[in-house]
Amino acid sequence: MDTQTVTKKGLLFDTTLCIGCGACYGACKERNKLPRTNENFLRDNLSADTFTVVNRRNNRFVRRMCMHCNEPTCVSVCPVGALVKSEQGPVSYDASKCMGCRYCVQACPFGVPQYEWDDPITPRVRKCDLCRDRVAAGLATACATVCPTGATKFGNRDELTAEAEARIRANPGRYVNHVYGVAEVGGTSVLLLSDVPFATLGYRTDLLQAPLPHLTWNVLHKLPTVVSIGGVLMSGIWWITKRREEVKKAEREAHSTEKGTN
Amino acid sequence: MAKISLRFPKITFWRVVLLMILSAGFYATVLRFTKGLGGTTNLSAQFPWGIWIGFDVLCGVALAAGGFSISAVVYIFHIEKYRPIVRPAILTAFLGYSLACVGLMFDLGRPYNIWHPLIMWNPHSVMFEVGWCVTLYTTVLMLEFSPLVLEKLPWQRPYKIVKSITIPLVILGVLLSTMHQSSLGTLYLIVPHRLHPLWYSPLLPVFFFISAIALGCAMTIFESYLSLRAFRKHLDFHLLTKLGAVGAVTLLVYLVIRVMDMQSRGVLSLAFQPTYEGRMFLAEMLLGVIAPIILLFIPRIRNNQFGLFASALMIVLGFVMNRINVAITGMDQSSGVHYFPSWTELAITASIVTAGFIMFGLAVKYLDVFPPEDMKEIAQGKRAELPALAAFRSPLWSATTLAFVLVVIVLGGTAALSYDGIRRRLPVVALSEGSGSVDVSRGLAELKMPGPIKIKMGKTSPGQCVFSHARHVDQKNPNCSTCHSGLFRMLPTTADIAPDRKMTNCGTCHDGVKAVSVRKEDRCDACHAKS
Repeated sequence: MDTQTVTKKGLLFDTTLCIGCGACYGACKERNKLPRTNENFLRDNLSADTFTVVNRRNNRFVRRMCMHCNEPTCVSVCPVGALVKSEQGPVSYDASKCMGCRYCVQACPFGVPQYEWDDPITPRVRKCDLCRDRVAAGLATACATVCPTGATKFGNRDELTAEAEARIRANPGRYVNHVYGVAEVGGTSVLLLSDVPFATLGYRTDLLQAPLPHLTWNVLHKLPTVVSIGGVLMSGIWWITKRREEVKKAEREAHSTEKGTN
Repeated sequence: MAKISLRFPKITFWRVVLLMILSAGFYATVLRFTKGLGGTTNLSAQFPWGIWIGFDVLCGVALAAGGFSISAVVYIFHIEKYRPIVRPAILTAFLGYSLACVGLMFDLGRPYNIWHPLIMWNPHSVMFEVGWCVTLYTTVLMLEFSPLVLEKLPWQRPYKIVKSITIPLVILGVLLSTMHQSSLGTLYLIVPHRLHPLWYSPLLPVFFFISAIALGCAMTIFESYLSLRAFRKHLDFHLLTKLGAVGAVTLLVYLVIRVMDMQSRGVLSLAFQPTYEGRMFLAEMLLGVIAPIILLFIPRIRNNQFGLFASALMIVLGFVMNRINVAITGMDQSSGVHYFPSWTELAITASIVTAGFIMFGLAVKYLDVFPPEDMKEIAQGKRAELPALAAFRSPLWSATTLAFVLVVIVLGGTAALSYDGIRRRLPVVALSEGSGSVDVSRGLAELKMPGPIKIKMGKTSPGQCVFSHARHVDQKNPNCSTCHSGLFRMLPTTADIAPDRKMTNCGTCHDGVKAVSVRKEDRCDACHAKS
């Protein structure tokens, strides 16, 4: 139903088109008002002040950023609901709810969420939010707006998926025959195309094809049943053993009075 | 009730040690809350949970296992023989939970928001359930423990109220704590991509639960031996032996399920490979599972005081190893860093444990944790020394000697295996950047540079200045970040670039050294159109 009312947005990143100019990196810093973190952006890493990077891997330029999963692990693990997935796709964070348990950092299959480790009192989780306000206003993300080659393209997720598949079909042999993000952990809003194996670019190819939150929900949803059955069972055992004690005591007393009368 | 004396306490070796640990912990606490987690711990985005979660929380919470096992046995199964150990077991559980909560206060980035899960719900989060369980069970334990304090008070009403709700409290406590033990395992179900397959299993909650029961038996034996020397009157040794047998059977079930699970996932062979994880796994299983099972299944050892004590100790140590392996060892390979706790993390952990021992000691001194008449006899020196120590006086070729030799072999073997494992820890390998230059021909073919940008004209401007991307950018190897990283905005239209008198924009490069200076007035026409 949601998919009909709100179109899911996404990004398509094509490594074969990336020239490593760093426009996305700079635009992201600008939009999020982040300080400079590295003289050479190609050597930078994701951090509390860097939400996207362009790195050189296996002779390609490849971006790393939040994948904005369809069923995000971080949203599922957050005990206070500080991380939320909006209908258009962006996964964003509300610092005022956060208690700083860092389960999101631990659980993210892509190692994306970063933490303000050096803030002693009000550390925040930091990551890309797919330019939530821009997207809500009908604009493209900052990174896609400035990309001069179209390596990062913003659009509707299903259209981008179709386009990615079309690019593979149109140029047989140029790409690895896989659109990364269509099925990984149940699908992500960010899709990747590459001409070299994704693993050599630092993208894990051993991830489950189903959403990770199912792994814990399968157990969690059974809890109410376990609790009710357990509660009844223990109350029952308590009652039976208590009754047995009472009967034993009564028998003993009856026995002793019998003896007394004899 | 003992009188609280105001005399200066005697300086003994152990008091000095405790004081030193607590001082280090205090200093570390100050650092933690002034410099943040980054400045005081070895945690990172690659390794967000360290020893405070792995030991303080996972193991602190497990101390409660003795509490729920024994109170269930006494109150629900009405096996009254075990009643004398209910109070110390509840006390340990209460302390364990309190200390886990204290540990969390250090670990949480925003500890003042610790109550948030109570009002901001996310039932899909295991951490949400853990948060609720910790809160509720700490409350239940406090209520279960409260009679010890309340009975000392002159008013009997609250005492009677708490006593009257004992059974529902115990049932609630058993449910909450068993749920909680297993959900600590469930926490790790969502990281199949991070946790090493030797420890990751869909059955993690089951393993955490079963091992907690075995630990409950072991902790009770362990506590009885360390502090219940008065108990020989009230609690015959036979009971502890039985508890040991129950623990051994539980561990055997645990071992069988774990091996079968690994077999079905096809990872059993990983255990015997000469890797860090393989060795640590073998050490954990040898010390914490296989050795105590064997020891406890030998009647001569089980019925021997030292043998029983040593086996219980192994179960406890093995349990701690398991939790640390899940939280730390198993994460090593996937994280890309080698985490080892910093001195602050260790000092705070040691302080928390020390505080626990001190509080246990104070409770034993001022409250009736153990039967008061026995305590009096201990004070008068009428009671025997620790059975664990007394056991050393038994004849040379006895069950004690046998147990001792076996314990030394197991401990030595475990240490050797762990050392061998750490030695085999693989170096962190960075992903290859590749050699030569990146082929960007396809991208360059698609390259669309932004058009010319008119710079806003000042009143004294000699003529319109137009910025051309094409002239400024290296067409073979464009680098946008040279200028678009703090210097020039990129997102809004760049129409409003002001004249650069302070040389902070164009002047950064047009300084007369790297490029024509914006100050050189005779070369105005280099950028400004002649009007």
